[in-house]
Amino acid sequence: NGVERLNMATPVSVLRLPKGPDPNSRGFDPKSPRFIALCRTSISTSAASEVDSAELQREQHARSVLRETFLRCLLSMTNKKVQFHMYEKVKVEATFGASDIDVLNFQVSDLHTPIGVQKEALIRSQDVISFTFDV
Amino acid sequence: MRSAVTSVFYSLNANSELIIMAFMIANRVLPGWRTMAMRQTPLTCSGHTRPVVDLAFSGITPYGYFLISACKDGKPMLRQGDTGDWIGTFLGHKGAVWGATLNTDATKAATAAADFTAKVWDAVSGDEVLTLAHKHIVKTVSFTQDSNCLLTGGNDKLLRIYDLSNPEAAPQEIAGHSSAIKKALWCNDDKQILSAAEDKTIRLWDRSSMEEVKTLTFDTSVSSMEYMADGEILVITYGKTIAFYNALSLDLIKTVEAPAPINSASLHPEKDFFVAGGDDFKLYKFDYSTKEELESYKGHFGPVHCVRFSPDGELYASGSEDGTLRLWQTAVGKTYGLWKCVLPEDLGAENSEQLYTSTPEIKA
Repeated sequence: NGVERLNMATPVSVLRLPKGPDPNSRGFDPKSPRFIALCRTSISTSAASEVDSAELQREQHARSVLRETFLRCLLSMTNKKVQFHMYEKVKVEATFGASDIDVLNFQVSDLHTPIGVQKEALIRSQDVISFTFDV
Repeated sequence: MRSAVTSVFYSLNANSELIIMAFMIANRVLPGWRTMAMRQTPLTCSGHTRPVVDLAFSGITPYGYFLISACKDGKPMLRQGDTGDWIGTFLGHKGAVWGATLNTDATKAATAAADFTAKVWDAVSGDEVLTLAHKHIVKTVSFTQDSNCLLTGGNDKLLRIYDLSNPEAAPQEIAGHSSAIKKALWCNDDKQILSAAEDKTIRLWDRSSMEEVKTLTFDTSVSSMEYMADGEILVITYGKTIAFYNALSLDLIKTVEAPAPINSASLHPEKDFFVAGGDDFKLYKFDYSTKEELESYKGHFGPVHCVRFSPDGELYASGSEDGTLRLWQTAVGKTYGLWKCVLPEDLGAENSEQLYTSTPEIKA
């Protein structure tokens, strides 16, 4: 009968389970063939049809310098008081802890807000327009 | 002395039974025999932490096809369509995401959320490209075939058409529904719009005149609506009914009754089957011509909110209140994606690979 047939049935084999999300990243692997083929680079010279390799090198160098400066800036902010200027005219001050790897969140302590001081907090970096601190 | 089997010729029939047609032993071909039936092994995609309320497939691209899932946790995810492998999470919404869609070549994604915004994303890099502010919860988003326009609808009862090449410009607005819009989509080569709302109507609008062309009224709120451009078929679900309409005339083609209230249904690209899922947590597969219920599967631990066939029809994906997506084979036992057709052990195939066999599902 039908029930017996189903119980005797062999479950279809599976090579592996689907890969789940990476807890440390939002994904969209820049090394994937699709990303490499389709992602428009923001380097203006490389988007041009005739690429001047000297110009491209200069731009790439400038990008590296800017990136390194930004990362060093994040490092030097550790344990310093930082003012965050955010949307909706929000200005808050906190002691900077760290940034996550995709620069999506900033971990801060003693966040001074109009409604009180938050001992530990995460600030969503996309809500931040700018931040300032004394070096 | 026993000889080794050197080749096996096999096939899978319509009842998901693996049939050994013939095999070769000691250089002779001998006739085969019928083996056991194959049982469906769904692939579970985890990662969401709240109910999955909407899902959509892209078209077939040179990199395969893709799947986007909308979740109440506010973090829609992109997955490889044939394996369910996670590719990335679109981060930015500040509320539950109610609707999600991909354009045909999976280069853009759009999402509708409870934070009163619809967002357009670069589906290759995961970056947010555009935020479109609305006056209330946005429930549904749909791209035109050329990806130049985005249709949105939600709790403010208005349909909005955004020109993505000129996003600063105010969208065109179509008013008419008397309650929240649940689903809106383009049809008839993007010349018309279909919308389903809590006011128990489905309305057909002309895009250029922005006027209502026809209305379908139901006794109860429609739970889902899917449009199939090839053949101009509209699949609607309400109560325990799955109804098929001509998308141009809104004439009824046929209705089918399911054993339980249905939340979503999808028609196979070749229009031979359709699948449905709803409040009893099960997935049902029906024959479209005969309306016969062919198969049903337990697996989800909560109501099924959405179900969609892949663009090649080889699998269908379901999203549930239990926070998971599951992928199901259309032809159970076929080698496709992560599923592998395995021959019975006694034959001992020459190059046997290490294969992972799922353990039987524990029935709650």
